[in-house]
Amino acid sequence: MSIHYILILNRQGKTRLNKWFNKNQTRSEQLKSIGEIHRIVSSRDSKYQSNFIEYQQTKLVYRRYAGLYFIMAIDLNDSELSYLESLHFFVEVLDTYFDNVIELDLVFNFSKIYNIVDEIFLGGEINEISKSRVLSRLTYLDSLDVN
Amino acid sequence: MASLKSFIKAVRKAKTIADERNVVMKESASIRTSFKDTNLDQNSRRISISKLLYLYIMGEKTHFGQVECIKLLASPRFTDKRLGYLATMLLLDENQEVLTLLTNSLDNDMQHNNSYVNSLALCCLGNLASPELARDLYTNVEKLMGSSNPYLRKKALIVAAKLIDKDPELGEFFIDKLPQLIIDKNSGVLLGCLALIKSLYNTPSFQPTLIKLSNKLLSILKKLITSGYNPDYDVLGINDPFLQTELIAILRLFSTNQAFNQVDEFNDILTQICSIEIGKNVNHAILYECIRTIFLVGSDQSLKILAINILGKFLTTKDNNTRYIALNTLLKVINIEPQAVQRHRSIIVGCLNDGDISIRRRSLELTFAILNESNIRVLIKEILKFLTFTNDNDLKPFIIQQLILSIDKYSPNDSWKFDNFIKILQISSNFINLQYISQILGNLIRVPNDLKASVIEKVHKSFAEAEIKNQFGLSIVIIWSLGEYYDIISNPEINETSILSLFKDIINNSVYSTSERDHLINYALIACIKLSSKFSNTASLESLRKLLLENTSNTNLEIQIRSIEFSELLTTDSKLKKSILSKVPPPPIKERQMLSLTQNEPTTKVKSQTPEPNDLLDLAQESKNDLLSDIFDSKPKPAKNDILDLFDSVPKQAPTNVGIKAFENSDLSLTFIPKQISNGQAAIDSKIITTKTIENLQFLIAVPKSQKLTISTNPNTNMMMVNSGDLVLQNIKLTGKEGSKIKFRIKISYNVNGEAVNQQFDFSGFEQNL
Repeated sequence: MSIHYILILNRQGKTRLNKWFNKNQTRSEQLKSIGEIHRIVSSRDSKYQSNFIEYQQTKLVYRRYAGLYFIMAIDLNDSELSYLESLHFFVEVLDTYFDNVIELDLVFNFSKIYNIVDEIFLGGEINEISKSRVLSRLTYLDSLDVN
Repeated sequence: MASLKSFIKAVRKAKTIADERNVVMKESASIRTSFKDTNLDQNSRRISISKLLYLYIMGEKTHFGQVECIKLLASPRFTDKRLGYLATMLLLDENQEVLTLLTNSLDNDMQHNNSYVNSLALCCLGNLASPELARDLYTNVEKLMGSSNPYLRKKALIVAAKLIDKDPELGEFFIDKLPQLIIDKNSGVLLGCLALIKSLYNTPSFQPTLIKLSNKLLSILKKLITSGYNPDYDVLGINDPFLQTELIAILRLFSTNQAFNQVDEFNDILTQICSIEIGKNVNHAILYECIRTIFLVGSDQSLKILAINILGKFLTTKDNNTRYIALNTLLKVINIEPQAVQRHRSIIVGCLNDGDISIRRRSLELTFAILNESNIRVLIKEILKFLTFTNDNDLKPFIIQQLILSIDKYSPNDSWKFDNFIKILQISSNFINLQYISQILGNLIRVPNDLKASVIEKVHKSFAEAEIKNQFGLSIVIIWSLGEYYDIISNPEINETSILSLFKDIINNSVYSTSERDHLINYALIACIKLSSKFSNTASLESLRKLLLENTSNTNLEIQIRSIEFSELLTTDSKLKKSILSKVPPPPIKERQMLSLTQNEPTTKVKSQTPEPNDLLDLAQESKNDLLSDIFDSKPKPAKNDILDLFDSVPKQAPTNVGIKAFENSDLSLTFIPKQISNGQAAIDSKIITTKTIENLQFLIAVPKSQKLTISTNPNTNMMMVNSGDLVLQNIKLTGKEGSKIKFRIKISYNVNGEAVNQQFDFSGFEQNL
């Protein structure tokens, strides 16, 4: 298992996305973890601290973009730097897709965010690494998804 | 029914939490009601489920919609399917019964003539595979792996990897496909291949076939780093970094296998990659992957030094993440290339003042790790400075213990050693563990008398000048050493009256906690009885007697017993008393283990399994935190009085090679003979001696995840049939993190007189650690 879960939380701790690839935790444990993670991540100093935290039996790799925390939990022996890079890749895709993404885009289009996650990650593994491919694929799928 | 958008708006409009709950409850109820409608059309179902997903993100209950999700994805419309699959992946998990309802839809959709529908089903299976689904649907995945559409191939490959994780036996259906797929031009497909290789590699019987792919992997990697700009996969000037890191990681996995014989070629490529400049995260990610590999592959020394120098450069960057990684890695490789790490000493020590606590901790641990005879003066000074100014009370006991251990081990001479012990005591307040105070006292016993006297005078002086109120460590040392060595001190300032008032001041000082006070009184009682044979003034002797008597009614049982015994001792005849109260002999030198702050990382991945009651592997579940909790347990251990350690002059038994009996019953006995345990490696013989004729002997050992174990049996041994009195000898080789404890979970099963016998037990009786 590479990525255990991906979270997007805002500064107040509201969940904007939670995707669990590792489903060993029960729902109530998941919600408890989200609360704890928000507390840990939001209390850290972005200037003086690294973007890595050991949490339970995983490592959290996170980065704050404007008012949102993008967080990934990975295996203890996986490379933090690589996953930080893939987290950034995900954010870049979001940003291009929504043309300067803001929190409200995530609120009203949450299912699209999940679709984007599914284009980039599959079962916790990174699966597509070309931004243009992901974006053209998404555009095409959305055109099928007429409503 | 209202739209999703208006629901989200209503939630956002709610001013109070109560308002919000109200909106949520109402919507949740209306979703439930809509699901009860047996004639619900897919359009309304889709809207209900989209709202249900919003509730899911908010953390509300959503389980009632699980079946509806599966109904939605069975719709022929792509829009319905897309949301249906999305909701199914989020709301269901692999342990639910409802999952069986999914089998048919997944089967149909993977055979659908529309590739977009195929990919939805694949994605769902990849996220939700249960062992049953894996077995029912693997043929569909196999087919899609051969699709002409690279998009489906890359997804199918990763799904295959996930299915194999659930049921390793499925690997045989996929492994043969790899050679055709690994030559694919598409980067996504290659990533999929690597994921599949990683999953297959967990099964040892597949390893030889996989390793044959090394040549291909190496050439892909080579091509990646030499080919020019590729706009699709370029990240800040690096060509497809994700594929590069994954390739390096897989080759690293292979390189630990004996069948891998392209070490030189791999090293060449690593050297080439290491020439990329530092400064950007993506470059660091690749370099980090290389560095981790270099220390595992058995690369030559020049490459290792190159790797350490890159880590040194990492330490000079401004990026916290990179520095964190560098320190972490240096800690792991310090034992491999100590000299090369030493060269970066000043940067490492500089990180002690970093703003990030996790960096400070790691650099602290690394500083201790590089400490030796030649740099001890500089480094101890830096660490003492750090200890004086840090507010991190959790860390202090660790630092103090490490300081004492390191000084004891590397100090250039005794007088320097004690000067620094005193400095530690001065700033240690009550963060010092009694065990380590004893270590200092043990050192004091071993030095010549003139040095003893001067040390005690210095302690006495620093005690008088101490600024911190709680001087637990210093107090214990001064009480004990005055009691033991008053007669060799010639300083007129230290006289009978001053000692008595010093004792009283310490015992009556209200800064100490009850348990600290009890320890102090205990030490004071011992000092009093010792001093009773050294004091000459009658008034002083009377004061000593009073001090002892005062405590005969102490509520602490230990203290009460001591003081009554000692009061009795005062009245016994002087010859006997003298021999009892003579000076203690030096204690045996104990080799103490250097401690580690960070957890050791698991070297092997063990797949998640539902634990069976008889699971051999659950030893691995044990918390790795014991060491940490030990370190951070700053309270002195109450029950044990450590001065007794000093009285204990019986030297510890030297480890002998007769072996340690681990198990015995009426049929057989098991003995372990440790042959060599050091540097993270252990070679141990296990000897089973039978007393009856037994059949089908099976002997299994499990070790914690962080260690690796191989057992080999003498080929002539017949485990199927062991005669009475026979000996079964096996060699156990264990590798793991240096200093970790050796723990076995052992399972012995055999048949005797036609009856099956099973024995399972834990054994950790080895004297040494890895």
